[in-house]
Formats: sequence, C-alpha cells, structure tokens
Amino acid sequence: MYKKAQATATAYLFLAPFLISTLVFFFYAFARALYYSFTDFNLFNTPHLIGLRPYVDVLADPSFRRALANTLIFSISVTILQTIGSLLMAVALNNRIRGQAFFRSAWYMPSITSSVVITLIFLWLFQRRGVANYLITQFQTYLPIILSFLGILVAAQIIQVLYERSRRLPAGWFDPALAAVSALIAAGLTALLSVLGVVGARAVQPFDFQYFSDSWLSIGGVQVLSMPLLVVIIMNTFTTIPTLMLFFLAGLQNIPGALYEAADIDGATPYQKLRNVTVPMLRPVTFFVVTVSLIGTMQMFDQVAVIGSAAPQNTLITLAYYVYANTFKSGAAPVNMAAAAAIILALIILLMVFIQRRFFVTAEAQ
Amino acid sequence: MKRTALSLLALSLIAAGAQAQTTIKINGYAGQDPAIVGDLINRFVKPQLAKDNISVVYEPLQGDYNQSLTTLLAAGNAGDVFYLPAETLDTYVATNKIQPLNGLVSTTPFLKSLNTTFTRNGKVYAIAKDFNTLTLVYNKDLFDEAKVAYPNNNDTWTSLQTKLTNLKKALGNDYYGICLAPDFARMGQFAFANGWNQFDSKGKTNLQDPAFVAAFNYFTGLAKNKVGVQPSELSQDWSGGCLATGKVGVAIEGNWIVGFLKDNAPNLKYGTALIPKADKTGKRGNFLYTVGWAINSDSKNKAAAAKVLNILTSAPVQQYVLEQGLAIPSRTALQSNAYFKKTDPGAQNSLAVFQGASDGTVKGYTFGPQGPDWIKPINTALAAVLSGQKSAADALKQAQSDMNTLQKR
Repeated sequence: MYKKAQATATAYLFLAPFLISTLVFFFYAFARALYYSFTDFNLFNTPHLIGLRPYVDVLADPSFRRALANTLIFSISVTILQTIGSLLMAVALNNRIRGQAFFRSAWYMPSITSSVVITLIFLWLFQRRGVANYLITQFQTYLPIILSFLGILVAAQIIQVLYERSRRLPAGWFDPALAAVSALIAAGLTALLSVLGVVGARAVQPFDFQYFSDSWLSIGGVQVLSMPLLVVIIMNTFTTIPTLMLFFLAGLQNIPGALYEAADIDGATPYQKLRNVTVPMLRPVTFFVVTVSLIGTMQMFDQVAVIGSAAPQNTLITLAYYVYANTFKSGAAPVNMAAAAAIILALIILLMVFIQRRFFVTAEAQ
Repeated sequence: MKRTALSLLALSLIAAGAQAQTTIKINGYAGQDPAIVGDLINRFVKPQLAKDNISVVYEPLQGDYNQSLTTLLAAGNAGDVFYLPAETLDTYVATNKIQPLNGLVSTTPFLKSLNTTFTRNGKVYAIAKDFNTLTLVYNKDLFDEAKVAYPNNNDTWTSLQTKLTNLKKALGNDYYGICLAPDFARMGQFAFANGWNQFDSKGKTNLQDPAFVAAFNYFTGLAKNKVGVQPSELSQDWSGGCLATGKVGVAIEGNWIVGFLKDNAPNLKYGTALIPKADKTGKRGNFLYTVGWAINSDSKNKAAAAKVLNILTSAPVQQYVLEQGLAIPSRTALQSNAYFKKTDPGAQNSLAVFQGASDGTVKGYTFGPQGPDWIKPINTALAAVLSGQKSAADALKQAQSDMNTLQKR
C-alpha cells in the first residue's frame, strides 16, 4: 500500500513541471480569457460582466468575418495540399534510390529554417520587381522558342513511335529512349530556326503584377481568396510538407513488405499499389497528419505578422492575428473582443477535430 | 549584543539614506535615443538635481514602442516620465494613466500648434520634445539639367505640377518628377490646406468631403504619365530613398532626410522649399510630427518627475539639441537662433521645417481614439489608386465604408 502511494507520488513529482506549466499557461490563461470574453475589459479598467455583448460585437465586426473566412480557406486548402504533397514525397523518398540520405535531408531543410526567414525570402520573391515577375517576363519573352521546341518534340515523338510500331516493335507513347532522341531533334531544329531568325525572343512589357496588393479571386462577386493569402498558402505548404512527410515516412516503414509483394504478383501498377495498399494502411497516420495540420493552420500567425503592413490587412488577416492585433494596441484595447474571438477560434478547432474523429477514423486507428 | 544593536542601527541609517534617494525612470525609444538622452541627462539633468537627491535612469523600450508602453502601463511598471507620440495620444488618454500637466509645467514658451496637438478638453498631456514638419526637398541638378525653375515658397499646386511635368518631359523615361509614398502622412497636408478636418463635431471622418477629394485627386493625379512614382517602383521603401537614387526631382519629407542624404547621397545637391499652397484657399497645410514628454499618473514621485521634465524641455537643453543637429526643438524663442541663418542645405531644411510649423493650416499627426487603425483605409485607397488598380472615386468609396465600420466600434 505504502509502496503504491510512493510510486504515485514519484509519478506526480516527475509530471509536476509539465502539470504546473499546463495549469498556469493553459488552464488559468484559458479561464481568464473566457472570463474576459464576457466583460468590458480594455486592459486598464476593472472588468464588469456585460454578458454576450463582446461576442455580438465580434460577430458584427467585418474584419473578424474576413479573418474567419481567410482562416477557413487557408486552413482547408493548406491541409489538403500538404497532406497529398507530403504523402507523395514520402512514397518517393521511401524508394531505394542512390543518394537517399541526401534527398531526405535536402527535402527537410525548409522545415528547420525559421518561418520568419522563409517569409522574408518569399516577400522578396514576390515583390513587384521580384524573381516571380522576372521569371514570368522571361517566359513570355522566350515563349516562341519554348513553343517551337515543344511542338517539334511532340511531333518527333509521334513520328518515331508510329515508325517503331510500323516495324511491329512494342513502343509506348512515353518511351524514355525515344523521348531523349526527340528532345535532341527538337533542340537542334529550334536552334537552327532561331539562327535563321524564324523564331526568336519577343520584346514584351515587363510583367508587372503586385502580389501584395488588394487583389482577389472572386466567385459571384464574393471575395474568396486574396493574392497575398495565396502566396502565404504556397509558402506554408512548402515549409510544412517536410515535417508531415516524416510522419508518413515512419508510417511507410511499418507497412509489411509482403503486401507489396502480393500486389506485384497480382500485377498491380504503382498507382494501384498506392491507392489500394499504401493509402489504406496509412490511415491512422493520415488522421494524425490532418489533425496536426488543421490545428496548425487554424492558428497561423507568424507569416501574417512578418508581412505586416506590406499587404493590405484585409487580404491576410487571420483569427490568430485578429486576436493579437486587438490585444496589443497602443493604449486602451478591446481585449474583451479579442478574448471572445479566441474562444470562438478554440471552439471551431474543437469542432473540426471532433467531426474528423467521428467520420474519418476507422476502427483500426482508435 | 551592543555591537549587534549598533550595526543594526547603522544598517537602518544606510537604508534610510537610500530611501531618501528618489529614482526617476524614463521610458523612450531604443535606437540612437539612449545615447542622446543619456548625454542630456549627464550634461543637464544630473548637475541640477544632485542637491535634491534625485537620480535619473533611461530605459529604452525595444520593439514596438506603443505596444511595450501599453503593456508596462497596464502592469504598473512604466517609467515616471516617458515619450508620448502624438499619433497615439488619444488612445493613451483613454487609459487615465497620463498625468495632465496643467499647473505642473508652463506651456507658454512652446510653439502654440505643438501645445494644441497635446491638448484634449483643456488638459495638456505632454510637452513636445521636438518636432518635424514636411517640406519639398528637390534635386537641384535635375532641375538645372531640365532647365526648369526650382520649386519655391510661392508655388501653388498647379505651378508645382507644371514644373514636375516639364521636368519629366525634358529628362525622359528614366527620370520622374516626384516620389509619392502611398501614405496619409505625405498626402494629408494637401487636404488640410484645402480646409478639410480629420474629425467632424461627432468625431466622424468624412473622406467624401470635396476638400479631401480634391486633395486626394491632386496627389494621385501627380502619378499621371509617370510624373510621380511610388518608392516601391524604384525598389525603395520611402521617398528619401527615391531622391537618393538621383532619378527623382522632388520628395515630400521632413528634416530626417538631411542625415540620410548625408550618409547615402553625399554628392547630391539639394534645396528645400515649403509645401505648395492650395489654389483654392491660397494657404498651405502641414503636419506636425511630434513626440512629447509625459508623466505617468501612477508615478509615486510626480513632483520629481515634473522637475526632470522641466529640465529636459528647458532652453539650454533645446539649444544643445538644435546645435548638435539632432532635432528641431519646440521653443518659440529659438526661431531667431543663429543656426537657422546658416546657408548649408541641412540648416536651410531645418529652417523650412521650423517655418512650416506656423505657416498655414498646421495640424498634429494624430489618429484619434481609434489609434493607428484610423489611417489604414486611406493608405489602402492611396496605394490602390497610385498603382492603377482602382479609380479614385471607387477607392474613396471603399475607404469611407471601411472608415465607417472602424468608427462604429
């Protein structure tokens, strides 16, 4: 009996640092936020309970509604993109290829680089005079040459395949050896044409698109996705794929090789193996990845904060940023509204994870 | 036993001595301010306060000054004396943490427009430390090459526009007349010149007011035919950077451009003119960018804090600040100062900045009770029109609707 009590005490002792920090920085903070969300607190006054008014104010605030829409769009699109991307990348890196260690580390780099640094690099890439616009301008300039190369390539390939088949040899449309020959022919002919002056670079206006501006993709007059948010979506997908890839990679190692051997014997194509063996076997990992990704993206803050006033606030504001911006102002601040928004954010995340658990996870994952 | 009692007595005496020593903590910007204020404290404050047993320390706030000051004030840890930027004055007044200075400090020696900037409902909340206004800084070489007369103090909106258009015509594609930052801080003074008020009697902002619309159209209209250029188009982040490239005739900036040009374009020959007058009213407008010294209403040593504040805004301190070329001080008496009679472009610029504070419709660069969010709808509209994404009418309509929702909160 005594021994058991001692063991329990020891366990709590070891757990204490974690428990104390959770109590103080999570439960206490959460309770305070919940309390403030029903008061008129502005950092400097004595809070008085005013019921649901802060929630009504927050829901009536257009910048909150924009933040909510931006957050949901961001979260869902990034989660889909990075789950698919990281699964494909994990499958690719799970193959026994030369230099596998190098590729695994190289692919992981974006994840260990600070998100602030990556954001600054992306800000620079997507400047009005940045690399993205430069590459598009270059593409437009050399479009005739690129098109003639591609045209000749396709034509040469078709002719070769038809010729091989006329000799009753089994030639596929994407045969790599024939494609290499076609590419050589296309490169040679394009070079000849450009020397003769038939095709050449065009003079085009520099592509002059401002990515961090108030431009939107609208559906039926409703602003859905802003250009700056699209840039952040690309950036976030790029930086988080590697981390999620690690989970999938670990999951892949646990799939018995016998299943793939059986599939090989049945004559399954790589796509069929992915669809019918890998994806179902990875279901528990996928649940974990989607949950982590949803929670992470719903709380997205750092990129928005770093881009700051470089983009119009409406185009980028997220719920986490809304909470921050309404708490840390100069002087008196609507902290009650910020607290209400934080509680709403927490409820949405809870709801999303609950729905996912209810409909997505199969018996073997639980 | 006796010895213990004696040493205890000695200890308590030392402690009492230490208690008598009052420490006044000052909060201000980081960057180069700690060096400057530290110098002022050592030269002027400490010698005068030595007999009063008051010591003074400067604690700079890193990062976003307003956020840090707000946190410190809310937690009760802010300094006894601190910088109070005019643009966030109203949001701080709402906290009841700023001590009204009426009766504590005399405001008469300071420029009237500066005192007005820090006054709300008859209470003065801060004394201007120093200030800046806007001027036209122009590249003499470009105007000479284009054979166009320099901008001068008699220019109106129209005559300046003609000069800029001629400059652009003469110099061609690689050169621009003026650098236009999409910022209310660079455009608003045109609206003031036209008689526009930031807030009506109910505290609302009207961006559809013809006086504002005309100024907005003038400012954004300067971008027509590439006479005006945004800093971002020249890979710069402000119009001072534009001017330093040598490709732009005019920048609308304050005295801070002098030090920048000295470091970044030492060979650029520049001159300064006052902001042009509105054709309609014949008056010019201007902003007062200023930071004041304020006292924490929670301070336990308000009398000592007021003493420190009085020394920091005293005539000898301001004379020193001006002569060091650090800033334009806020005392009326300094206008006859010998420094302003110098002919080098930096001193000339200082003079124009000083004159700008009392010529025409001059208002503080302040945002009202909504704080810095107030400026965003206008800046968004300016950026959209200057980059050709929206018409001025559409952009202003959107800005007004955003402003209404902001001010309804």
